[in-house]
Amino acid sequence: MTTKTRGLISILVKKWAPIFIATFAGLLVLVGYLFPTPLLVNYRGRPTELRDVLVEWAVIVAAFAFVLGVVNMLRVHGGRALRRRKGWFYSLALLLAMLIGSLPPLLEILQWFLGDALPDVQIQKALNYLVFDHVIGALGASLAALMAFTLALAAFRLMRARRGGRELVIGWLFILVVAVVLLTSTPLTGLDWLPLADIRRMVVNVLGMAGMRGLLLGVVLGTVITALRVLVISDRPHSEF
Amino acid sequence: MNTHAWATAFLALSLLVLGLVLGAQWLLRKRGKPLPALRPLPAFQDLRDEVKRVAESGKTIHIALGSGGLSSADAVTSLAALQVVEALADAVVAYDVPLIITVGDSTLLPLAQDALRRAYERRDLAELYKPSLVRFIAPMPVAYAAGAAYEIALEDVMTNVMVGHFGPEVSLIADAGARLGLPQLAAAVSPDAIGALYPITNRLAVGEELYAAGAQMTEGSRYLVSLTTQDILRFILVIAILVLAVVQS
Repeated sequence: MTTKTRGLISILVKKWAPIFIATFAGLLVLVGYLFPTPLLVNYRGRPTELRDVLVEWAVIVAAFAFVLGVVNMLRVHGGRALRRRKGWFYSLALLLAMLIGSLPPLLEILQWFLGDALPDVQIQKALNYLVFDHVIGALGASLAALMAFTLALAAFRLMRARRGGRELVIGWLFILVVAVVLLTSTPLTGLDWLPLADIRRMVVNVLGMAGMRGLLLGVVLGTVITALRVLVISDRPHSEF
Repeated sequence: MNTHAWATAFLALSLLVLGLVLGAQWLLRKRGKPLPALRPLPAFQDLRDEVKRVAESGKTIHIALGSGGLSSADAVTSLAALQVVEALADAVVAYDVPLIITVGDSTLLPLAQDALRRAYERRDLAELYKPSLVRFIAPMPVAYAAGAAYEIALEDVMTNVMVGHFGPEVSLIADAGARLGLPQLAAAVSPDAIGALYPITNRLAVGEELYAAGAQMTEGSRYLVSLTTQDILRFILVIAILVLAVVQS
């Protein structure tokens, strides 16, 4: 094969093939949603819209990307642990946790291959229970609880990050709104005559909701335009251009 | 006409309008008419200066791309966040600034790696590129935020950039940066994340401003054109909402 032909193939594979696949698949799924035509295929023994098949394939590709992610983790943390760099102990703990976490599905695969040769499936269930309920669940809950403190701390730090009159006024307004919403959410005994619930409703349901809708409408516009840019090949994050 | 038909018609109409406006903008540009100037967004405006500052200090820049990925509803937000990496990569390579990118979804990993690799290749420095500069932390948002916060503390970071799809858990990353007194630049679309980031940094791009990252940082015509289109459509939407409110009242 000549150098010229090799270069041509390289351009085709690296530049044009990803663009063609992405644009074709993107347009097909979009058109499938906009104009639901009976463009059906027999997929896994059932009639399915072509767009659903493509979306299902995307999920499979995402699963392969997860393998890439695991390899990346092994490389980063394995290197750190082997070279005894700063934080190597935590990297080692992470690798061990990954190994323990991967045991239940590995056992399941072994079970599939060996059939009845593996005597006790209870081990897998116990491991699953141990990993998900006693480790991941508990750690997730504690991190979520930590978030409440980091958010409170952020409110305290607010004024330090603000410089200048306008920013300070907005900062104080932010704190005032947060304080009003928090205070009016609590049942203050003896102050029932105050229209606290109405104030809260006004702040959250009217002002807050209006702001949030405005924000989300802007986000939708940005999303549509960015997606369109990818579809019309103006943006090519997946190609070597 | 049922709800689905209305939604389809609305979507088709929106896409048609978008296509027309984009086409008109391109034509204007071809004829040499200048595009309007950008309004300043501190979150992205200061980012290039931050690269120079970090280059002088010999420390690292950390970019957290969030827990969004390509196979979920927030794919476009993640792609917009990736524009920041693409825009910054050349400057980072030119100034020889160490850069660490953390992702919370493995589908974003190859794209971020690719953007960085191409920047090294453009400067004929492909041998200096390391895939481990982009790190997949964890697939769960809270675990990702905790892991990214740990990377900030570990890697001698000088500037912390948070751009992409986040929830309130972003406060863990921002808190790690605030503890070290780092300059922090952020862009988020979810109201939860905006609420968590607002007290921490005044260099925050809110909502649709995230999609202006490419235009702000590269001033590339394709980004400027789409940003102008976005602004025009926003005005049309505001007027439509006001007219409908008046008609219905």
